Amino acid sequence: MTLKIALTKGRTEKQVLPLLQAAGINCDPIVNKGRQLIFNDDPDYHFILAKGPDVLTYLNRGAMDIGIVGSDILVEQQNPQYDMLDLNTGRCRFVLASTPDFDPSQTKRKIIATKYPLITQTYFEQIGEDVEIIKIEGSVELAPLVGLADAIVDIVETGTTLRENNLKVYAELQAVSTHLVVNRLALKQKRAAIYQLIAQLQKAQKSEV
Amino acid sequence: MSNKTLPTGTRDEFGTIAMVKDQVIQTIQQNFKHRGFKKIITPLLEYRDVFQSLAPQAYQPYQFIDEHGDTLVLRPDMTLPVARMMSATGIDTPIKWYYSGDVFRVKKRMSGSYNQITQAGMEIIGYRSLKAEWECLVAASEISQKLGIADMTLELSHAKFVPNVLAALPISEPMADNLVQALYDKDLTQYQTLLEPLANDPFYPFLKDWPWLFGDFDAVLDQLTQLPKIATLESIIADLRATKAFISQRFPNVTVTLDLCVQPPQTYYTGMVFHAYSQDATSYLFSGGRYDKLLTNFQQTAQPAVGLAFDIDAIVAQRHLPKAPQETLIYFEADQWAHAEALQARTPNSNLCLADSFKQAQQIAQQQNAQLINLAER
Repeated sequence: MTLKIALTKGRTEKQVLPLLQAAGINCDPIVNKGRQLIFNDDPDYHFILAKGPDVLTYLNRGAMDIGIVGSDILVEQQNPQYDMLDLNTGRCRFVLASTPDFDPSQTKRKIIATKYPLITQTYFEQIGEDVEIIKIEGSVELAPLVGLADAIVDIVETGTTLRENNLKVYAELQAVSTHLVVNRLALKQKRAAIYQLIAQLQKAQKSEV
Repeated sequence: MSNKTLPTGTRDEFGTIAMVKDQVIQTIQQNFKHRGFKKIITPLLEYRDVFQSLAPQAYQPYQFIDEHGDTLVLRPDMTLPVARMMSATGIDTPIKWYYSGDVFRVKKRMSGSYNQITQAGMEIIGYRSLKAEWECLVAASEISQKLGIADMTLELSHAKFVPNVLAALPISEPMADNLVQALYDKDLTQYQTLLEPLANDPFYPFLKDWPWLFGDFDAVLDQLTQLPKIATLESIIADLRATKAFISQRFPNVTVTLDLCVQPPQTYYTGMVFHAYSQDATSYLFSGGRYDKLLTNFQQTAQPAVGLAFDIDAIVAQRHLPKAPQETLIYFEADQWAHAEALQARTPNSNLCLADSFKQAQQIAQQQNAQLINLAER
């Protein structure tokens, strides 16, 4: 029975491929893909490469059985499917960051720029603060530098981009990693194949530790 | 915005799809009617409070404010209005209802999902016996056969199985809450972390495989041998076994599976839960179960109830849509009306052509690629 897997292209793809290969899945066509986006040659696993939020759209519509996607997207998009396995790759974290003169305790309704409004809102609700959120699509680091926002909430892997832009981390929010998500009905329809895939992935994870 | 565009999440349905949808609804309704069920029609608009027991994230409704400032919704569910009606009217039980209609649930914009969904279903109110579940399942299986769904899988589960196992576990309430959430979410990473302190517990061999306790009926029951004896589970398992045996004997083509780790669809479910799907489906064909506490949302006393609803749009989406047959147009003079009607009644895929002239009728026939019968020349 073929499993249809939507894999987040780019950084997530590169970081998760070694784990998939260690789990016994032939990923050579993806490694040598050129501009190809769909891989149907393996009778057991069909792959597509898509942007993170689109992985969930394919999954929610039942067009794919399994998604491999960052937990940042799962939280932000309020994923309704089964988030079954933390693959422990693509590890990074959400942070609150700003210029060195930012004062987190300042009593004002702060303006926060982010690509992740839901995660940002949830964080500030948890600490009992109401903030104004500005949705930014990319290069969020610019916002406090040009005075658009008091601070940003963004994903950080090594912190290099923040440092190069003279930004400082003021709070650590949640951790982010790549997860395996399964369509609820596909899990029923393809139980044996999904069980086998997850068992292989968990075995590969253990042998990596 | 334009006066030609539809709101997000809505669609027009016409032609073959609309006719197939109508046939599916008629097939379902005819079955319920032949079984002696009574028809119920509830309004599209209800007070929001009717639906307060629904999980708001799964059933976000369209909301309005009426002239008194009360919040109205387009119904997101068909069962709660039946319960509301039963508690408000004092209708004698037992009683069996059937219905069809649209429910409205606001989905994420531009996600390919529709906000208006057609359901047809039934409610059996007032019977505690397992026979109520069986009538539900027999009716649904018969309907599925009539609809030509060849590879139906019927999945049985029970709303009380997971809570009864949890109640027997030697763990604190907060830990039980976390464990059941991870189990229902199938979050294996979190679930396995939570289980680590129980590694030496007699329940551990069962618990470690619990998230996979679904699928082949007998294989799932075999896995239960790892579970220490829990008296409260015996009647649950006996009912599930009996139901499987009954359905398999009546409908050998239906595959019956078991899921003993799934979250009930709503908090008001109290007993057996059922879902059906076919191998290529992207949605369940029908869902339902027993909800003996349903009416307590509206009144003090409980009433036993069992029901299920077919997802008409999911069924239509799976059907092979027939190619529209060639139409026949019947052109006639006004004084030939009765003759024309009689001919139309015995001619398949025909309709009366109401053109004023034969030339106009010919143009319409050509435009519609239809055959044309000219009664005027006879």
